[in-house]
Amino acid sequence: MSHDKEIMVKMYTTMNKIRMFESMLQEYFAAGKIPGFVHLYLGEEAVAVGACACLTDRDSITSTHRGHGHLIAKGGDLKLMMAEIFGKSTGYCKGKGGSMHIADVDLGILGANGIVGGGGPLATGAALAAKYRKTQDVTVCFFGDGASNQGTTQESLNLASAWKLPVVFVNENNGYGISCPQCKSMAVTDIADRAAAYDMPGVVVDGNDVLAVHEAVGEAVKRARRGEGPTLIECKTYRWRGHFEGDACTYRCVEELNEWMAKDPIPRFEEKLVESGLVTAAELEGIKAAVKKELDAALEFAQSSPLPELSALLEDVYA
Amino acid sequence: MSLAAIVANPASGKDIRRLVAHGSVFDNQEKVRMVRRLLLGLERAGVERVLYMPEGYGIVPRALNAIRPDMAVEALEMPVRNSQEDSIRAAEIMETLGVGIVVVLGGDGTSRAVCKGLTDTPVLPLSTGTNNVFPYMLEATVAGLAAGLVATGAVERETACVRSTALEILVDGEVADLALVDAAVYEDVFVASRAVWDMSKVSKLCLTRCRPDSIGLSAVGGQVELIRPEESRGLALELGPDAAERVVAAIAPGLFEEVGILRREIMEPGVLYPVGHSPCLVALDGEREVSVRRGSEAAIRLTVDGPWVVDVGRVMEAARTRRIFVR
Repeated sequence: MSHDKEIMVKMYTTMNKIRMFESMLQEYFAAGKIPGFVHLYLGEEAVAVGACACLTDRDSITSTHRGHGHLIAKGGDLKLMMAEIFGKSTGYCKGKGGSMHIADVDLGILGANGIVGGGGPLATGAALAAKYRKTQDVTVCFFGDGASNQGTTQESLNLASAWKLPVVFVNENNGYGISCPQCKSMAVTDIADRAAAYDMPGVVVDGNDVLAVHEAVGEAVKRARRGEGPTLIECKTYRWRGHFEGDACTYRCVEELNEWMAKDPIPRFEEKLVESGLVTAAELEGIKAAVKKELDAALEFAQSSPLPELSALLEDVYA
Repeated sequence: MSLAAIVANPASGKDIRRLVAHGSVFDNQEKVRMVRRLLLGLERAGVERVLYMPEGYGIVPRALNAIRPDMAVEALEMPVRNSQEDSIRAAEIMETLGVGIVVVLGGDGTSRAVCKGLTDTPVLPLSTGTNNVFPYMLEATVAGLAAGLVATGAVERETACVRSTALEILVDGEVADLALVDAAVYEDVFVASRAVWDMSKVSKLCLTRCRPDSIGLSAVGGQVELIRPEESRGLALELGPDAAERVVAAIAPGLFEEVGILRREIMEPGVLYPVGHSPCLVALDGEREVSVRRGSEAAIRLTVDGPWVVDVGRVMEAARTRRIFVR
């Protein structure tokens, strides 16, 4: 695993971007300023950041309904994302797609996705294209524990392995599919166990440890670039908020939430960074302040942008 | 009443060595089948009650879905945190309750956790992990039989067991942790995915045992020394790329490394072997575990007061000579 200061600082910066972005959305959604639904990524930042830090701009990701963290980690433009979520015409989808349809193909972001399990076939297809074109590019497929039970996901794992495609399946196991605890929807506790059925490596890592995720995904990406095929990496993590904003979370207890909040990935990383001597606590404070400024600018951009015109209603409609 | 105990770790056998090496995938359903056979062995040996560590997957309850042994099988009353602490805590409770043996299903890491919770209760470790130096690759039916004979007292501890040595890790004079097989000074500050496979970062290696046919970090020492677990000596190695003596060792499943040995010496019990620098990590039984902070002083010490480990062959030989199963 690289100890490059630049990579470490970038990971720390991006984790804070996600944390602040999502916290802002939480606040403005509660105030009724955001239309549609938002599914927040708070608490899971280490997974997206650790994984995307292993990728180049040429590599791709597929995301989920809880996609803001993945998109930010892959370099998504904060202003365009914020404007889109606020439903403004300056957003990624001109304000007509919202939280779950943001994509930026130039950055390798093949899209958030409103369909649970929708990312697997897209990622597998992208990886097939890369192999066909002999580009060495890798695709990371983010998917949740609920999606792991979908046929699309299992079919994708199967084909990716059968064709030795350069795709890394990064499972974010946060313990719940909407309100359904994992133990009620599957007979296994470790989704990584399923990799054996497809003859690919399956690994469990601490999804709240950005360095553990980074190391494991980094090895899987190297494997994929060597032409050795896909890997399934299960990241054990937890979402701090409900499935969506407004979810009363009656299906889980406060003690469980508190236990996971105590494993907050950001202070854990902070402590390791300072201890390693790579950065000082003062530098980290400076990073947080800079991120705050960037987020404030994104919020200002979104709030001051116009809504789409009524005349644009039928533009970009394909069906 | 004869009392045995089981700690079956649902998390063993799933770490990054399946990706960076070629580690086996040991799914939890296979652990269920092993526990089934283990319970039948315990029952056959005359055990009346079995306690087990509760965990998220329910390995023991699932094992009982298909068998109905004529003995009480009960979960310990303890919180489940799904961490290594569960195994330590379970072992402590089991010893307090007076179990005659603790059977462990897991790898070196699980065995280490359980042994941290025990003082003089015998342990029978069964491999479901990755490197498998401490635990046995053994049929659970026979392991159950042997464990049962120890739990019932049919074969006494001194006949059944060897007392293994262990390594204590001291940080600033205090014992911070314990290793059963190997303690490696790892030149990094990030624990990350825990496993050790980059030997260029291992500068020192202390071993309680080594033999040429083992796997994992102790395989390095195994190419130059033969030390049995119960011998009151260990091996300390200084490693480096410029060494004249180089050995090829299977440091993980399917993964060979050529390792340079700069210096080696026999470890005497009670003698401190300084880690030498900080910050760094000390990997215990193949996993990056102890952080030695900048300015701290760490050392490794061999102790002869390690775990009592059941030797299944000795137990079954005692059973044969005592005609325990001859009707």
